[in-house]
Amino acid sequence: MSTAIIDARGWQSSFDLKTGDKVQPENGAHRIVKEVLQKHPYPGDMDKGSNRWVSDTALELIDKYMPRFVFLSYAAQYFLLRYTPLTDEARSTIIAGAFREAERFAELSGYTPIIVGTGDMTPLIDNIDITRLDGLALCTNWSARYAGLYEPSDKDMTLLSSHPFIEKIVPREEIVRLFNGSPEQAQRVPEFLMAGRKGYAFKALSPTMKVPVMIPSDNFTVPVFLPGSEINDITGIRGEIEKLIADRNIALIIMEGIGINDFSLPYRSCSNGKEWFCYETGDAQYLTISSGEHRFFDYPKGYKYYDETDVNNEFPFSGYFKTIPENTFASSFPGRSIAVGNKSMFMHMVTGADISIECFSRNMFNQGTMAVIHRENK
Amino acid sequence: MLCNYCERSCEINEGKTGFCRMYTVSDGKIRERFPHRWSACSTSVIESMPFYHVHPGSRCLTIGTAGCNFRCSYCSNAHIAKEDPELQQAKMFNIPPDELVAMAKRMNCRSIIFNVNEPAVSIPSLIELSHEAEKAGIMTGCLTNGYMTEESADILASIFSFFNISLKGLSDSFNKTFIGISSSKPVLRNIGRLARDSFVEITTPVIQGENDNELDDMAEFIAGINPAIPWHVFRLLPEDEMKDEEYPDINFIDNALTEARKKLPYIYFHNFVGSDRVNTICPSCGDVVIERFSLGCGGDKLKTDHTAGGCCKSCGREIHLLNRNLK
Repeated sequence: MSTAIIDARGWQSSFDLKTGDKVQPENGAHRIVKEVLQKHPYPGDMDKGSNRWVSDTALELIDKYMPRFVFLSYAAQYFLLRYTPLTDEARSTIIAGAFREAERFAELSGYTPIIVGTGDMTPLIDNIDITRLDGLALCTNWSARYAGLYEPSDKDMTLLSSHPFIEKIVPREEIVRLFNGSPEQAQRVPEFLMAGRKGYAFKALSPTMKVPVMIPSDNFTVPVFLPGSEINDITGIRGEIEKLIADRNIALIIMEGIGINDFSLPYRSCSNGKEWFCYETGDAQYLTISSGEHRFFDYPKGYKYYDETDVNNEFPFSGYFKTIPENTFASSFPGRSIAVGNKSMFMHMVTGADISIECFSRNMFNQGTMAVIHRENK
Repeated sequence: MLCNYCERSCEINEGKTGFCRMYTVSDGKIRERFPHRWSACSTSVIESMPFYHVHPGSRCLTIGTAGCNFRCSYCSNAHIAKEDPELQQAKMFNIPPDELVAMAKRMNCRSIIFNVNEPAVSIPSLIELSHEAEKAGIMTGCLTNGYMTEESADILASIFSFFNISLKGLSDSFNKTFIGISSSKPVLRNIGRLARDSFVEITTPVIQGENDNELDDMAEFIAGINPAIPWHVFRLLPEDEMKDEEYPDINFIDNALTEARKKLPYIYFHNFVGSDRVNTICPSCGDVVIERFSLGCGGDKLKTDHTAGGCCKSCGREIHLLNRNLK
């Protein structure tokens, strides 16, 4: 059983991750994690101490759990760049600060870092309004480039095909072919996937969110700091971890919102997708990195998320995840592993680490932190 | 001209606006400035609004506009409610009522709920929308601060089937300091008015040390109207002007509700992840009749509805639920 421990500031409670039922485990790992959560309240997504929280929490967990593999995600710069109008100088300062934090962690922990940038940000030029179609168009606030399309009318297709900000409209069959999907996987893929041009973001049904000033760019390649390696695709990162971890402790560090243009370390430029498709920051990109295989189908872009929420009550604390993703590196690694991140409530799902700690922020409202213990018997 | 939509009764001159900046005067009439412009248009489960006693587990289309007639120091939607509505227009959805209703149907929504800002600032649009929804057999509801005129309360009661009314505080000093109004009396009056003809739930965000001392009086007030009204006590999430304040102590507030629980059978304490005070308990036999997950900040959801025909399976007691279309 995987256990979730919620820390809502001054109040903690434990749950079966899958059922959401309250549990009261009192084993060693549980006690350690509760202490760490209590000592490290999350300061908030855009707080200047947010990235430091990632390092400090991870260092404390390393001290107490002594893992061989650490998976970190630094995201404060992503949120700041996304929502704050900044001068180039201010932007550079923020990005430099994020790298300093990752380097501080590497120095203090002594772990060998593998650092991956999830991709550059680009100024939002305009939105592509897809709210008034005859058919249904879906995307999330956090996705810029892609939107799913269902039951479009001829009028919709004429309009969208000639839209100056839309680069491509790809039918389901083409997506399934590109990623070698099974008939079962194909069922969750939208009838069509629309890809917007760089700088344009789809605007579909959405709750009230702040309007971004920068959005993910079309990052067909992303930078990977991995001295001595010759990989040229993000699917190759897992294999490198498997080789290197034989004789050293490894920290896989994800730098959110940073791509080739701003990566301050020597890097290999790695393919970040297939043909016309490139990953945006999110679960699919993380899973591709952690599993070493393309993972478009776990939660396909533009899928009908709400249909799945209605029928499946499992994993209530895991957002849209309805199962624990398979084949992540840490889930099969015999040594100990941890994950800490401030990007989203998904570290416990996309990393597969024994213990993960993440911010519990819904739409950037800071609710506290959550830890998940998947394994405690190593 | 005096605007008669909310209790502020702003005097608005031709071409000018009042406190909420959502109405103007043109050709001698009060008019809505931005009809059918929505700041949000999304889909969610009804528990996340929160409505715990209205069609449990059903899906709704959620909408909002801009502006507000309150100035709460802890507003969680300040970028919508406090910013000048005119400056927000470029990012708004521009969707006419018939298309909103069609969208709700396409996404299998049982209801359309106005839940972002105060509906009193957009009444003409909401009248049109509700009429369209009614034609399509879709219920409408809203979250409101209750600070509208009696005439507006009558209008809202005629177009919405269910309400969640925010009872933020009772004392004048609290309302002046944290809400920006002089008195809660209009809110109390409208709770009574709306509960007379419609299904009402009530929400109170608790600021420790500021309004937790009023919880018993609030419970007394609610019980005086109808003790079956569900009451959501929220742990305040410090936001906006209160961003740097401490998070209220969960155990302290939970204990402060002890007396209130004797008066009201349906009290919920949430707005934080993992609360176990979100289940509905049968007032007669004490069995859990509806189980929910608490995810904080508009993320709550149904776990299991154990009722049978709206009644407790164990003892047959009817649970106070809105489980049928009223309008």
